[in-house]
Amino acid sequence: MIVAERKGFEEIAASLSGFRKVLVVGCGTCVAVCLTGGEKEAGLLAAQLDMAAQLAGRDQVFEVACVERQCDREFLDELAARAPEFDALLSLACGAGIQFLAERYDEIPVLAGVDTTFIGVNDNVGVWEERCRSCQSCLLSTTGGICPVALCPKGMLNGPCGGTADGQCETDPERACAWTLIYERLSRTGRLENLARLVPLRDNARASLPGRRTHPAYQRRYSAHA
Amino acid sequence: MPEFSQALSQKEFVVTLELDPPRGVDTTRLTETAKALQGRVDAVVISDHRGATPRQSPLWAAHLLRESGLAVVLTMTCRDRNRLALTGDILAAGAAGLQSLLLVSGDFVTLGDHPGAKPVYDLDSVQALQLAEVLRAGSDLAGQALTGAPELFAGAVAAPAATPLEPQLIKFRKKLQAGAKFIITKPLAEAGQLRSFLERSGGVEIPLIAGVEAAGPEALDDAARLLADLRGSGMARGVHLSMPSAPERLADLLKACGL
Ligand code: SF4
Ligand code: SF4
Repeated sequence: MIVAERKGFEEIAASLSGFRKVLVVGCGTCVAVCLTGGEKEAGLLAAQLDMAAQLAGRDQVFEVACVERQCDREFLDELAARAPEFDALLSLACGAGIQFLAERYDEIPVLAGVDTTFIGVNDNVGVWEERCRSCQSCLLSTTGGICPVALCPKGMLNGPCGGTADGQCETDPERACAWTLIYERLSRTGRLENLARLVPLRDNARASLPGRRTHPAYQRRYSAHA
Repeated sequence: MPEFSQALSQKEFVVTLELDPPRGVDTTRLTETAKALQGRVDAVVISDHRGATPRQSPLWAAHLLRESGLAVVLTMTCRDRNRLALTGDILAAGAAGLQSLLLVSGDFVTLGDHPGAKPVYDLDSVQALQLAEVLRAGSDLAGQALTGAPELFAGAVAAPAATPLEPQLIKFRKKLQAGAKFIITKPLAEAGQLRSFLERSGGVEIPLIAGVEAAGPEALDDAARLLADLRGSGMARGVHLSMPSAPERLADLLKACGL
């Protein structure tokens, strides 16, 4: 899932100054699961903003909406009747959702209420951890299901750097070295030969450009001559 | 001009020293330190933004020291250069007659004082060695012929003190396979670390220089003791000394080591 963090209250409040009527738009998928931008968080934030505006004597109105997924047109359409009443939309979706909302309602200023942080997992109650950088050429089959791109700060491909100490990472003694984990897992599963080969240079060309993917079943529909 | 490769083939035991380029344009201190070292060391290893702190490009510092008559090893990290920049700097080094390169991944950016810098690591150290081999053979990574191929003597770092050791050994073997011509180890705490590394490495055919760091002036004695151990053991073809906190006192270190 996509993990995000709510922006600081001051930053959000400052970005909304000058807008009288604001709709706080939550998203019911990833950001709801990571307790950042779901319906509940949107409601809380709107109440907080409302209180701060009242205390400061600002004439502002905050309302709340939440759609199932802001990264999907069909759900964004649900706001069609309401959105035009507002001076600004404050989105609590991930960066992709925020952009799609802004694209769908492109006459209305759309502001970001969260910082999108990573693609990760729910490691423990209330704890999320990064696992993937969407590098577009997945190495997990050979690296024992542990990602050296996301978990090794240097993205080393041929093994650990010389900074590993007691199996921990040179950049943070609290974090395991990804290559120690990879080595241990491959060792346990008898697949150490995976590490022996020289890994060729990565082809970054695809991941360096904005991605777009059409499902093979739909390719004809979108091709120029369809 | 003296070359590090020559020293390795002529001498049984070599001594190299690590020096940082200045953090500014004034190279007086660097050249003075170098002058004081003339004839006492076999090569100076110029660091590359050591500890991820910015300094003058090591290319220029290496060039100056070479001009002053020292054999120089130029460190190049993958931290700050993508494959284009690595290619360009290796070619520039070759054009300047700087043959000896130490190709390393490089201390991570957040450990330095510009923690917000973007880390590159387009290549890792094994791949950087492969790049050096490709360039040496006369073409670039796109297969384009070079107008003049660089003469290179590219080495790599090993980390016998890192734990666990086995993944380090796997990577070490790849560095040998990728064409490393010499190895300099990271600083050792004691000679035993190198012993177990060598025992488990399956044999090292190329010269291996053992790293000895004097963390501060008070550490001179420890460093001298380690050096004597290493020299007596016959495990290494030389030692690589560093004293990052007070490079001008490297001469004292040499004296303490009886060199
Ligand atoms: S290698 Fe890592 S970053 Fe790339 S797709 Fe696989 S998990 Fe994601
Ligand atoms: S210590 Fe391990 S995880 Fe950390 S940068 Fe080095 S190889 Fe990567």
